Amino acid sequence: MTQPFLSIRNIRKTFGAVVAVHDVTIDIPQGEFLTFLGPSGSGKSTTLYAIAGFQDPTAGDVLLQGKSLLAVPSHKRNIGMVFQRYTLFPHLTVAENVAFPLRVRRRPEAEVKRKVAEMLSLVRLESFADRRPGALSGGQQQRVALARALAYDPPILLMDEPLSALDKKLREEIQAEIRRIHRETGVTILYVTHDQEEALHLSDRIALFKDGRIEQVGTGEDLYLRPETDFVAGFIGNSNFLAAECLETANGVATIRLDGGEVVSGVKAGQPIERGQKARLMVRPEAFRLKAGTATAGFAVEIVDRAFFGERQRVVARTVTGQEIDIRPTADMADMQGGEALGNRQVFFDPAGAFLFPA
Amino acid sequence: MLLDYERMGRPLRVALLGFTTLVGAFLLLPVVFIILLSFGSSRWLAFPPPGWTLKWYQELFADPSWLEAALTSARIASLTAVFAVVIGLFASFALVRGNFRGREILRGLLLTPMVLPVVVFAIAIYAFFLRLGLGGTTIGFVIAHTVLALPFAIIPIATALEGFDKSIEDAAIVCGASPFEAKLRVTLPSIKIGIFSAAIFAFLASWDEVVVAIFMASPTLQTLPVKIWGSLRQDLSPVIAAVSSLLVFLTLFLMIAAALIRRRFSK
Repeated sequence: MTQPFLSIRNIRKTFGAVVAVHDVTIDIPQGEFLTFLGPSGSGKSTTLYAIAGFQDPTAGDVLLQGKSLLAVPSHKRNIGMVFQRYTLFPHLTVAENVAFPLRVRRRPEAEVKRKVAEMLSLVRLESFADRRPGALSGGQQQRVALARALAYDPPILLMDEPLSALDKKLREEIQAEIRRIHRETGVTILYVTHDQEEALHLSDRIALFKDGRIEQVGTGEDLYLRPETDFVAGFIGNSNFLAAECLETANGVATIRLDGGEVVSGVKAGQPIERGQKARLMVRPEAFRLKAGTATAGFAVEIVDRAFFGERQRVVARTVTGQEIDIRPTADMADMQGGEALGNRQVFFDPAGAFLFPA
Repeated sequence: MLLDYERMGRPLRVALLGFTTLVGAFLLLPVVFIILLSFGSSRWLAFPPPGWTLKWYQELFADPSWLEAALTSARIASLTAVFAVVIGLFASFALVRGNFRGREILRGLLLTPMVLPVVVFAIAIYAFFLRLGLGGTTIGFVIAHTVLALPFAIIPIATALEGFDKSIEDAAIVCGASPFEAKLRVTLPSIKIGIFSAAIFAFLASWDEVVVAIFMASPTLQTLPVKIWGSLRQDLSPVIAAVSSLLVFLTLFLMIAAALIRRRFSK
């Protein structure tokens, strides 16, 4: 087996009695854009800090091309990092900021000049070279921070929620920049965020963190279409969870009875489940149909609200047990029109597109 | 705001203006009097002066002991400023960044000289230095004044350091600078206004300190305030008014220079 480029092995970090990271293991191939996604306090930032060297893990190891990084002090790890907060050196100009890592490495002046010019053109801020950070917008500051972090060609770039201080429009703009820079430089990026859209937009793979452990690793599609746990299903995308009971199970396919009484067969079980066990059925809002069509399973609801957004509509329905569910029918005109009236009716879904988890 | 200048009635406004003027006059008039008297021709400091003269300034510059005292003061104040800033810098890092037991006690201890009656401190350090043989020496002066100046150095440096985001220093370290180099090349330049203020305050704390100086001084080692105090006890000569005026101008010059430099830094 070939050696992984970056290998995080059984990292554990405790602060007194508090366990921030339980046990995190993941291999990252060279050039990958991997995102640590998770709610705050799930251990994603702590894991990143262990790689950067700001916090020594209680146990475990971090290997870069087979060599342990833990014994190497932060400033000799040769890792690039962009922080959540603005960390440009306020007394230096943009160009001097980008030159800083090269100057501390005592690189020849000609190389420093060339590299600074190259980096500023990479982040498209050539004309800002002589400005002070104070004269830059938040987005520009983070782009300079990115240029500074890449100036010394680090093998790995760590990014700790670099866009969380920016407004939505700017965030999307810089996401595009980050994607382009990742494509152009081929640097391996570890990115931390709690924003699932950002993770889906940027990453090759996503590691979803929960309570100091990785819940699931995979591409955005994997996590969205094939969630392994109800936490993953609930965290990525919008989901409806319907209470149910398992009647029959074979080869990972189950027959269930919803709490409203309808029996549905042919649902995929995300996790092993036994007959008679209480379960939760996850159905994506966009998997619901207002007309049967190919969707074979259906149950009675009362449509209580409906809003039209142009490309799609949003319908709020209430099941017979009183639970409100979120429905986003597609732009299929028949489907759209079907939802015009409020009141009692049936909704349908394809059992193959729903996931069953033990309650 | 409830009590807004724009909204208060005319009588209130006039009253406020009058009161403020009085306070200002009360604070400034003695200084103005001293300066006027230093140019007055009366040996007995009569006011208003019967005529104008520069002879007190001539007398002042003719007496080398005044210049010597001024130089002694400048030397001690400069050394005090250097020591107070260096120690204040280390102390500030400990107080702001440190996470150890007794940190608040240390903070209190370091700031005590500001609230302790100076005369108590003066007697204590006088008795202590008598044993060590440091009384009447420059180094004794500098140590005593450094203790007094330390709070004035720590407060601006610690405030500047608190306002400096440590992530910026971390960023320098990830960029490849050693923790020491990161502090030297990034943290210190970022808090230079605090360091600069600390140096000015520490210098002035020593420059115009008189109580401890009286205990520390010897016939051969006198600071300017001690020399003024001594001369005052002998006779009330307009030369003292001249010295005082020069001191006022020097302090004024230092404060204006500090304000100008600070404004340039913050650009």
